[in-house]
Amino acid sequence: MQAVQGSEDVKKVKDVIQTVLKARKILRMYPENNPIYVNTLEECYNKFRDFFYYQDDLVLTVKQNEIIYHGEQVYYSAEKEDNLAVFFFKDGLREISFKKGLQPEELEAFLKIISLDFNRDVLDDDIVTLFWERDFQKIQYVVDDVVLSDDEDYEERAVAEAKEESAGDDNILKAYEDAFKETEELTDVLIVPLTDKDLQSLLKELDDDNADKTPKLIQILFEMIFLSESAEDFEDLLDFFKNAIEYIAGRGEIHLLVQTQSRLQGIVEDAANADIVRKFARKVMMFAGSEQIIIILGEVLDSGQESEEKIFEDFIKYLDRSAIVPLMKVLGELKSIHARKFVIDALVFLGTKDISLLAKGLTDTRWYVVRNIIYILRKIGDKRAVDYLLKTVRHGDVRVKKEVIRALGELGGGGVLQALRDCLDDTDAQVRSASLKALCNMGSEASKRIILNKVNDKVFKDKEFEEKKEFFEALPRWKDEEIYNFLIATVKQNVFFGRSKNYENRACAAGALGILGRKDALPILQKLRNDGNKLLREAVLLAVKRIMHDAQ
Amino acid sequence: MHNSDDVALNTIARDVVNQISVILRTAQIHDPNNVAVSSLIEKLSSMINSLIAMERTITLELRGDFFYINDSRIRYTLEYLLNFDYLAREFKKRVVGGIVFKERTTAAELTTFVRVFNASGGAQRPFETIEENLLDVNSFSIERLRIIVENDTLEPRKMVKKTYFNAVSFTKGVINKIKSGEKVNIRKAKRVVESMVDQVLEQEQWLLGMTAIKDYDEYTYHHSVNVSILSIALGQRLGLNRKMLTELGIVAIFHDIGKMEIPYEVLNKPTNFTDDEWNLVRKHPVWGVKALLKLKKLDDVTIKSAIVSFEHHLNYDISGYPILRKKIELDFFSRIISLADQYDAMTSSRVYSRVPLAPDKALSIMMERANAQLDPLLIKFFINMVGVFPIGTLVMMNTRELGLVYESNQLFGSRPRVMVIIDKEGTRVKGSVVDLIEKNEQGDYLRTIIRTMDPNKYKISLAEYLL
Repeated sequence: MQAVQGSEDVKKVKDVIQTVLKARKILRMYPENNPIYVNTLEECYNKFRDFFYYQDDLVLTVKQNEIIYHGEQVYYSAEKEDNLAVFFFKDGLREISFKKGLQPEELEAFLKIISLDFNRDVLDDDIVTLFWERDFQKIQYVVDDVVLSDDEDYEERAVAEAKEESAGDDNILKAYEDAFKETEELTDVLIVPLTDKDLQSLLKELDDDNADKTPKLIQILFEMIFLSESAEDFEDLLDFFKNAIEYIAGRGEIHLLVQTQSRLQGIVEDAANADIVRKFARKVMMFAGSEQIIIILGEVLDSGQESEEKIFEDFIKYLDRSAIVPLMKVLGELKSIHARKFVIDALVFLGTKDISLLAKGLTDTRWYVVRNIIYILRKIGDKRAVDYLLKTVRHGDVRVKKEVIRALGELGGGGVLQALRDCLDDTDAQVRSASLKALCNMGSEASKRIILNKVNDKVFKDKEFEEKKEFFEALPRWKDEEIYNFLIATVKQNVFFGRSKNYENRACAAGALGILGRKDALPILQKLRNDGNKLLREAVLLAVKRIMHDAQ
Repeated sequence: MHNSDDVALNTIARDVVNQISVILRTAQIHDPNNVAVSSLIEKLSSMINSLIAMERTITLELRGDFFYINDSRIRYTLEYLLNFDYLAREFKKRVVGGIVFKERTTAAELTTFVRVFNASGGAQRPFETIEENLLDVNSFSIERLRIIVENDTLEPRKMVKKTYFNAVSFTKGVINKIKSGEKVNIRKAKRVVESMVDQVLEQEQWLLGMTAIKDYDEYTYHHSVNVSILSIALGQRLGLNRKMLTELGIVAIFHDIGKMEIPYEVLNKPTNFTDDEWNLVRKHPVWGVKALLKLKKLDDVTIKSAIVSFEHHLNYDISGYPILRKKIELDFFSRIISLADQYDAMTSSRVYSRVPLAPDKALSIMMERANAQLDPLLIKFFINMVGVFPIGTLVMMNTRELGLVYESNQLFGSRPRVMVIIDKEGTRVKGSVVDLIEKNEQGDYLRTIIRTMDPNKYKISLAEYLL
C-alpha cells in the first residue's frame, strides 16, 4: 500500500516539476498582468497545494543532471542549456524543500528568481544570493559552499600551520606560575550599559546612513585631486571622475552634477592651485558637458523622472558652446514635451554663445527639430539669426514655415519684408495667415503698406471671407488716419458688379472699425444698421456694440 | 515580502516578548494587581490569545540570545533591543528556556506567573520554584533552559570553521586576482559574506572565536576576514538588516585592499618602519580607492567600499590619514570598520605595533581612544559585543585554574565560558569548558576571574584550543 502511495507521490512530484518548468517559461515571456502569466501561476500553486494535501513537505535533492525525490528520479536532462538541475547545481544548491503552507506570493517570488537568465542578465547575484535575500519562510535549501573555495585544502593547511605555533608545556606552566606573582589585576574595562539615549542616537545614525553615498564619493575624488602626485594618478582620477559623473547623470542627480561643476570651476578659477590641478579640473568639466553626459541626461529626462527646472538651469550655466550640438542631437530623440522643454531652454541659453552653430540645426532632416531650432532662435532674439532663417522659409513642411514666419516677424531686419510679402501669396492658407500675423506684429509702415496693398489688390475680393476678415482685422494694429479712412471708405463703398463680394469686404471693414474703436465712426455705422444685407448688418451691429462698450 | 500570516505572527510574537519584559519590569516597582501592571497584563492576555487562535499551541523559546516562536526566530527592530535583552537575561538567571501556551490564557493566570517569576529571582533553584508555584495554572507551562551539550555542537563548529576558511581562501584569491589584473567574481564575494552573516546570526560567538586566533602565516587575508566578521557582528548588534550586513561584510573584506601596493618587504618588515616606509603605508587608503574603482562599474557596494577604504584610518576626529583639505564626517560603515580594524590589528602581531596586545588590554586602549580616534557610541556596542573578557583572553580564576576565554556571555560580560588549560593542581589539561555563571547550592558563583594575563607573552596559541 505504501509502495503505491510512494509511486503516486513521485508522479505528483513529476507533475509539480513540469508545472514549474512551464511557469518558468511563461514568466520569462509575459508581463505580470497578462492572463496567461496569472493562470500559469495559479496552476502551479494549485499543484503544490494538492501535493501538500497529503504531505507536509516536498524535498528535492539536486544532482548535476537530475532531481531526486525520495530516491526516485523526478527530472533528468543532459542538456547544457535550459537544464533545471544544472541551473540549481552550478551555484551549489543541493537540496530544495517546499513546506506545507507555501503561499502564492512566495511561490511567485521563487519562480521569478528561477526565471531570470543569469547568463544574459547583468546580475551581481547568483541564485543562492537571491534566495538568501528573499528570506523565504516555506522554501528552504541546502547549499554546498565548496563552489566558493578557490583552494579546497586551504583550511587543512592553515590549521596545521597555526597549530605548529603552539607553546610547549614549559611556557604554559610558566604562565601558571606567574599568575600567582603577577601584580597586574583585572583590566579596567567595564561593560557600559546601553541607554535609551544611546539607542536614540543610533537610530538617528542609521537614519542618516540611508542617504545616498555618491556625494561622499565625489568629495573623496576631490580630495584625491590634491593627493595625486604623478601623471598616472591624474589619468586614473580622470577616469574615476568620468565614471562618477556618468553614474550620477544616469541616476538623474543633476543637483550633484551642479555641485561638482561648481567645485571644479572653483578649482579652475583659483590661481593658487597648481597648473596641473586646474587643467585637470577643466578636463573634468568638459566631460560633464560632453555629448555622452547630455545623452544620458536626455534619457533620464525622457524617462519621466521628476527634475527641477531651476537645477537644470544651474547645470546649463556650466556648459559651453560645445554642448550645443549634442543638445540638438538629444532634442531630436526626446519623446516627452517636458524633457524637450528642458533642452530647448538649455539651447536658448547656450545658443547665444554661437548662433551659427545653433543654426546648423536648421538643416536637420526632421521637421520637428527644425521647428524647435527656429523657436529657439526666435527666443534668443538675435538678429544674426535672420540670414539663416530666411533660408528656411521655403521649407517643405507647413509647420516649419509657420514657425519661421513668426520668428522673422519678431526679429525683423533686411530681407524679412520681402520674404513675408512672398508668403502672403503662398498656396497654403495657414502660411498666408502666419505671414499676415508676422507683418502685423512688426507694426512698421512698410509692413502696413504691404497689407494695404494686398487688400487693395484686385484679386483680394475673391479670397475666402474668413481670410479677408483676417486681413481687415490686422489693420487696426495701425491706429492711424490712413487706416481709418481706408476702412470708412470701404464700409461705404457700393459697386454695381460683384455686389456680394463687395458686401463681404464692407462687413470686414465694419468689423475692423469696431476693433479700431473710434467713436467718430459711429454715425456712419449707425446708418448701416438697417442695411438690407444681413452680413453687413450683423457686422455693423457688432462693431457699434464694441465701440460703445469700449467708450464706457 | 513574507507571506502575511508569518509577518502577522512575528509581529504579535515580538509584541508579546516586549510586553512580558515591560510587565516584569513594571511589576518590580508595583504590585501585579496595581492598575499600572494589571492593564498591561490584560493586554498581554489578549495578544497571547490571538496567537493561540492562529497557531493553537504557542512555544515561546529562548535559544542562545534569541527568542523563537514555534521554531521561527522572532525578528525585531532596534527599539525592542533593551526589552528583549532584559527578558533574555531574566530567563537565563532563572534557567527558564521558554513558555508553552497550550490554550487560551487569562489575566489571572498571567498575574500569577508575573508574581512567581519576579519572586524567584533570589531563589536557589529558581526554575523549580516557578514550576512548583505554577501547578494550578493550566493554560501554560515553563520549560527549562536548554544547555548546549558540547558533542551536539561539533557539526555547527565545523560549519563555522569551513565558513571562516572559505572566506580567507576567497579573499586570498581575490587579492591575487586584483594584483594580476584579473576579473573578480562579485557573486562569489556575496555568497562568502552571506555565509558569514548567517553564522554571525546563528553562531556569533564561535565565529568571533575564529577571529581571536592569530597564529596564521597569511596575516593579510585573515585580517580582512576578521575585520569583516567583527564588523558584521557589530552591525548585527546595531540592528542592521541582513542585506546591509552583507554589504558591510563585503566592504570590510576590501577595506585594506590598497595594502597590496605596499612592497612585501615593507609590509612584513620585522623592525619598525622608517619615515619613508610610513609614508608608503599611509598611502594605502588612497591606493585602495583606486583599486576598488578600477575593479568594476560603479554601484552601491563599490562606492561604499571606496569610501571605507579612504576613511578607515581617518579617525573619528579626522586627525588620521590621509590629510584632507576639506573636513568630512566619517561614514557609518567607516566608523564600524575602523573599530573592528583597530581591534584586530592591536591583537595581532604583524601590524605597525609588532607586539600584539591581549584582547582586554586592546579594549582598554580603545576605550581611551573614544571620541578622538573612535566613535564613542559604537565602542560601547563593541565592548558589549566582545565582552569584558574577549575570546582568547588568558584568565586566572579564584579556583587557581588557568584558562582561555572560550565564549563571551552577552548578558553577564564578566562571566564568560572558559576553557581550562591548567587545573587547580597545576596540571596541564585540555578541553573542559566551564561556564562562569554556574553557582553552587548556596547561590555563590563557582568560579570568578581574578586576573587576566597576556597569552602572547607565553606564546599560548589559541589555534591549539579553538581549532
